Amino acid sequence: MSDPSKQPEALNPDTDAYAHESELETHLQTKRMYINMGPSHPAMHGTVRMKVELDGETIVKADPEIGFLHRGFQKSCENVTWTQCLPYTDRLNYNSAMMNNFGFLNAVEKLIGLEIPERAQYIRVIASELHRMHDHLTCVGATALELGGFAPFLYAIEGRELLMDRVTELTGARLTTSYGRVGGLNRDLPEGWIPKTIKSLDKIQDLMVEVKGLLMANRIFVDRMKGTGLLSAEDAIDFGFTGPCLRAAGVDYDVRKAKPYWVYGQLDFDVPVGEHGDNYDRYIMRLEELEQSDRIIRQALQKLPGGPIIVDDWRIALPPKPEVYGTIEGVMSHFKLVMEGIPVPPGEVYDSTEAANGELGWYLVSDGRGRPYKVHVRAPGFPILSAIPQIIEGKMLADLIPTFDMINMIGGEVEQ
Amino acid sequence: MSENDTKKPTGDAQPPPPGAPTNSPAAKIGPEPSNPPAGAKADNPPVAHSSTTPPKPPAPAGGPPKPPPPKNPGFVTCTIDGREAVVKPGTNMIAAADSVGVEIPYYCYHPRLSIAANCRICLIEASNAPKLVPACQTPLAEGQVIKTTTPKVKEQQRAVMEFLLLNHPVDCAICDQAGECKLQDYYMKYDYRPSRLEGGKVLKHKRKVLGPQVVLDQERCILCTRCVRFMNEVPQEPQLGVFGRGSHERIDVFPGSELSSNYSLNTVDICPVGALLNRDFRFRARAWFLSATPSVCTGCSRGCNIYTDWMSQDTYRYRPRENEEINKSWMCDQGRLSYKYLNLNRVLSASVGRRATQPPNVVRPEITRAEAAKAAASQLQPLAGTTQLAVLASPLLSNEDLLAGLSFAKGTLGVKEVYVGGRPQGAADHYLMTEDKNPNRKGLELIAKGLGLTLKAFEELTPALKSGKVKALVALGTEVPGDAEAFAQAAASTEVFVALAINESPLSAQATVLLPASAHVEDDGSFVQKDGIVQRFRKAYPSKGDTAPTWRWVAEISKVMGGAAAWSSAREVFRELAAQVPELASFHWEQATPPDRERPGINPLPTGADGRPPGYREFGTPRVRGI
Amino acid sequence: MDRVSAHLPEAVAERYLDRAGGAWAVIHAQHLPKVAAYLKNDPELGFKLFLSIDAVDRLQLADNDPRFEVVYFLYSLSRNEHVRLKVRVTEANPQVPSLVPLYKGANWWERLTFDFYGIQFVGHPDLRRILLYDEFQGHPLRKDYALRDRQPLIPERPIKDIFRGPGTSGLS
Repeated sequence: MSDPSKQPEALNPDTDAYAHESELETHLQTKRMYINMGPSHPAMHGTVRMKVELDGETIVKADPEIGFLHRGFQKSCENVTWTQCLPYTDRLNYNSAMMNNFGFLNAVEKLIGLEIPERAQYIRVIASELHRMHDHLTCVGATALELGGFAPFLYAIEGRELLMDRVTELTGARLTTSYGRVGGLNRDLPEGWIPKTIKSLDKIQDLMVEVKGLLMANRIFVDRMKGTGLLSAEDAIDFGFTGPCLRAAGVDYDVRKAKPYWVYGQLDFDVPVGEHGDNYDRYIMRLEELEQSDRIIRQALQKLPGGPIIVDDWRIALPPKPEVYGTIEGVMSHFKLVMEGIPVPPGEVYDSTEAANGELGWYLVSDGRGRPYKVHVRAPGFPILSAIPQIIEGKMLADLIPTFDMINMIGGEVEQ
Repeated sequence: MSENDTKKPTGDAQPPPPGAPTNSPAAKIGPEPSNPPAGAKADNPPVAHSSTTPPKPPAPAGGPPKPPPPKNPGFVTCTIDGREAVVKPGTNMIAAADSVGVEIPYYCYHPRLSIAANCRICLIEASNAPKLVPACQTPLAEGQVIKTTTPKVKEQQRAVMEFLLLNHPVDCAICDQAGECKLQDYYMKYDYRPSRLEGGKVLKHKRKVLGPQVVLDQERCILCTRCVRFMNEVPQEPQLGVFGRGSHERIDVFPGSELSSNYSLNTVDICPVGALLNRDFRFRARAWFLSATPSVCTGCSRGCNIYTDWMSQDTYRYRPRENEEINKSWMCDQGRLSYKYLNLNRVLSASVGRRATQPPNVVRPEITRAEAAKAAASQLQPLAGTTQLAVLASPLLSNEDLLAGLSFAKGTLGVKEVYVGGRPQGAADHYLMTEDKNPNRKGLELIAKGLGLTLKAFEELTPALKSGKVKALVALGTEVPGDAEAFAQAAASTEVFVALAINESPLSAQATVLLPASAHVEDDGSFVQKDGIVQRFRKAYPSKGDTAPTWRWVAEISKVMGGAAAWSSAREVFRELAAQVPELASFHWEQATPPDRERPGINPLPTGADGRPPGYREFGTPRVRGI
Repeated sequence: MDRVSAHLPEAVAERYLDRAGGAWAVIHAQHLPKVAAYLKNDPELGFKLFLSIDAVDRLQLADNDPRFEVVYFLYSLSRNEHVRLKVRVTEANPQVPSLVPLYKGANWWERLTFDFYGIQFVGHPDLRRILLYDEFQGHPLRKDYALRDRQPLIPERPIKDIFRGPGTSGLS
């Protein structure tokens, strides 16, 4: 505002009628506002702090600050045996812990050059897809909740609870499963688990009908999702998007199809591909993948062969307990595997699996001493989160919420 | 067979073992040596006209084929798993393979002992033998091709492992050797098959006490006879033997005798399994929780090189570390058990005022290090420079402590002569142990000479105290060679008695200012061994309680008294003060530091100085005991 | 990788194919942008999907000079191929040209590598710590950074139990 002492003729906005008239023409003069979203904010999944510069309701600049959930994943892994890394991988994407377990194990097995038994491969596929459904249900439900719909959240969470019960029966834990071992799995399917799972899948299908009914024709929901959070296919590739977010932009890339691992090659499923790259497409991708996962699980349960669930090699898998307690060979093998770890030959490997949010890559270096020399994890959420400023700058603050929901950033894996 | 002691552990420069067959072609160097390849070492240079001499034509058919001329005259050239090895004639295959990085497993072989070739796990395929040959016993032949990874060899190793484990008890969980056991290592490497045994195992004596230090579990024994050969050959006290036949064969002492040698605990070290056990160490710690730090034994003036195995802030055992010049791979039992003063009966906090004159249960006020140093300085200040002040130095201290302490005595306290304390003399034995039980007497003498101080015998100090000639005493170390009780009585009459003590003793109770000193494993430093060899040792764990290295106490006291002592590490003490001692000036402190790990990641492990839980093992595979 | 060594022979120091079939090559640092641009823009290669960057501290390996190895992971959607580029840098001069002008996705990964290993990416628009706080001293994934070293912003109470923590290890 001008200094009245220098310009005595200046109009006084409070008293001069002309001033009111001219103000009607001009825009409201506002200052840029800086706000902190997070680290404790209900819509900031995990704990992300977003420093947002606002011009009115438009975001001028966004700077995500991460690291509040940093646990030193890599450093911890470098100091424990290969098997002891498993519980750390649980905590990466805590919505789909088994996919992290299996991704890591798959990379280790590649480094050893190990082929796991077919039954273990099938169970890994089944468990992975269960957790993919688990992840997507959480994502869809949470999005609906944060956009104001409480009912769809409850339906989705009910489905998720069913899955969690199945996972608990399978692994003994709801969230941090640590299921699987190098060379296979640590336990077989419990009795009566297959019919229970199929029943749960049926129930989830019913629940999804409800969720879709509540959301797909919901004006508020669709308006806030469609056309927001746009990112072109080119940019998405450049940022290193993978998974549903990349496919929503129309790029057909799924590790399960591109480089089939385990028994994915023998199963019949489709990979949905979107076209716009906006939040609505991402949402549709997730719904569609839920269906596909359902298909995969049913097929796999049908085809599930018998046989061992872990390789029979005492340098890799722990001997059966009677052998450990009864024979010197068993106790030696057990002792060496527990105290020193699996002797993974020196070398390095990059291996990836399709996790719920995209390509989960592992770059492992071994020096042959029973402990990882380096464990690099390519968390799918990390590059996706890094694109947030590009996506959101120049858009409305309200768009940030669905965008943030639909990229499904998981603090655990992004912040290692 | 004592000449075996001088054998080097590595293969290249090894003389042929006595009794080893020497009829291999390599042993006779042909009359026409061909040109050695560039860079090859040759004992006898080729004859000048050798290059023009045509090689001899091959022997006519019908006769035995002549051995081919050696590729490198004076050496044997052969191929081990595709790698070319050039070694001296008579080198066995294990040593040769080791020199080119090929590992051949073995139990009974030991580079410093005679060869028994009874464990049979080192059998390998050689091009000039129809059957598998024992790698430990067979010297290499010229042009021989050796394969260690063929299916035949692997099947043999597996079979040997199965036999060895057949009667082995299921003991890993309670066995001291677990974690450093060759059976475990080789099982995972060469066998990894389940047991096929049906029925029971042969039972033998499970706890056979062989002597004051060693107990034997005969069930665990694989009868490699390393211990028997060791006792016969190294200390030359044949006390062990093999008794019985077949699967009832066992190691034992001869009837009516016991394993009483002063070197008996070395048999525990070289035992590849958990059969021979150290009675002192037994059941006290699991091997994988211990960290090992290279150090020097303080039991006598021999200065045997050792590893200190420690956890948290306690030393659990000493193990010999290889040093060709001093102790080879061995050490005496007395030295090995001399670690106990590091853990027990330590002075852990400073105190002012004579403890001996106070009632035993009185609660003493805690004082800080700075206060204690100030108290010591204020008591010493008025007496500095007078003849009423005497300094007692212990040859148990490291060179760094002595350099700092004696410089302080000379510069700040102004004394001209120093009384020599230390442990009393003891008995020597026929091999390593010496009479002098102090590790650094030589160092004390050198340093006193370098600083221009006169050393006086301890016996002169007691009368001087009694007569009142000496009214103040500074003791750098409270070990005394004479009657400690009597000396403590004499010390009670002093007005000022500043003592830096490692252990509680009657003498330390008489101190007017008692300062807790670190032991040698708690700081870096060096000792001078009795033959004048300077040896570095490394810090294992941080000082216990309030203790601090002697040089640090000295620095603090002299700072209060107006001296200039600004050292912050033993290395700095050495750098600043060693120049005055000609024998130490040429010693390169850093370069002489033994590596804390032999190879990266391989044991002995790094110390916990970087903030890891002490003794916590983070890297590497457990060490295989012995060689 | 054959094409790369044919096209830019001066850039490639070593080439490997590991046990699991992954192709990788060691690239000289100064040629890295050229190689990456070639990989990305050549129509037949099309390594456009930028996966990640990380580094390996080779301190405790047998061959540890130069000490750091920065590893780039790229993927070609058209060829369905992964490729790994490695750049070796010394401890004294840990500088690598930044790939941010080429790949937007490199931005955060380079910050992560800088954060953990202290690799300087020359030409990075905003090279600061990403997961750790700005006051943090040192780079935690270097092998000489102690596992239990703690740098709390708020002073911790010392706790005697050195095995379980939290707090100082109780040692001086």
